[in-house]
Amino acid sequence: MKGGIHVELKATVLGHFLGLPITNSLLMTWLVMAILILFAYFFSRNIKLVPGKLQAGIEMAIGGAYDYVAQTFESDELAKRFFPLIASIFLLVFVSNELEFFPGVGSIGFFQPGSGGVLTPLLRAPTADLNLTLALAFISFFTIEITGLATLGFFKYAGKYVNVTSPVGFAVGLIEFISNLGRLISFSFRLFGNIFAGEVMILVAGFFLPYVLPAPLMAFEMFIGLIQAIVFAMLTLFFIKLAIAEPHGSH
Amino acid sequence: MQALFDAFGLNLPLLLAQIVNFGIVLVALTYFLYKPINKVLTERQQKIAQGVEDAERAAKKLATADSVAASKVHEAEEEAEGIVVSAREEATSQKSRIVKEAEARAAQVAADAEARAKETAAKALRDSEKEVARLAVLAAEKILRHPEKAA
Repeated sequence: MKGGIHVELKATVLGHFLGLPITNSLLMTWLVMAILILFAYFFSRNIKLVPGKLQAGIEMAIGGAYDYVAQTFESDELAKRFFPLIASIFLLVFVSNELEFFPGVGSIGFFQPGSGGVLTPLLRAPTADLNLTLALAFISFFTIEITGLATLGFFKYAGKYVNVTSPVGFAVGLIEFISNLGRLISFSFRLFGNIFAGEVMILVAGFFLPYVLPAPLMAFEMFIGLIQAIVFAMLTLFFIKLAIAEPHGSH
Repeated sequence: MQALFDAFGLNLPLLLAQIVNFGIVLVALTYFLYKPINKVLTERQQKIAQGVEDAERAAKKLATADSVAASKVHEAEEEAEGIVVSAREEATSQKSRIVKEAEARAAQVAADAEARAKETAAKALRDSEKEVARLAVLAAEKILRHPEKAA
């Protein structure tokens, strides 16, 4: 236990490629992408009209999620347009979170020269890196705002935030505007904070009692990972729904 | 601000890379997962709807077939009854005709027999009269030839 607990807030850069810093969380992101895409590819090649158990399960999950999205939007067309985005956010975040505690993630690495005996892990949960969570937050944010603009038109949509009919209306519009901008921060830091805090907690628990204590905590953190994936996807869904809703007072 | 970005390891190329990564996942999963599943679900739904429709049609067809069969059986029963009735009628009429004929023939036979008997009796009478006459002639002749013997 040389050096005690070492907590790294940011992902470690392993090297550079064409000016792009390759971090351990970027590496893990590629791994998660590969898992998702390869699974989807081999799954799509084996789809049958009479499903097996795996196909039935996945169909039920995807079909159920799709029905929920369609129900929330009250429109099949909108559900068709936004379901891939929402489901992909969920799947990427979910798989990233669940792989967080797989053996090898965070524990396999190398010693960089001059690091003073601190292990540089080769893989780090992508969601424990603000770059990915902020990237998803930007995607979610711009999807929400652009959808609102495109659906309601510029003046109607801007009227949600700039309301000069009354002082109260003006204040409400301003608050709504700031809270909309704040979504960028809340989206990214909620996910990052939860997953990173989980990692730190496991680390601390492992420091006290390395053999038994981390197991239930890991199970709990996997549950948190599921919840956070659901939260990110659902908030995107609800904010899109809010963005395309008519402004108050116009109905 | 830069210090904050550094503290969290925020980096524009990395951020863009992660946005591109998500875009790749979105496109790939849409193409390999959501669309095929949606397609197969729609297909199955159509097939089930078709199956239900077919079953309903078959049930309807069965019902009409049942009623047709029932009416056919009813018709056949009526017809059979008619056939039996007419057969019975014919049988009765035939019977009475045969009996009448038989009676007529019997009467004829009886009449013939009587006529023949009468004729025979008449002929016998005639024959016996002739015989008597001849015997009488013979006796008279005998008496005339041998009057002594006769006395």
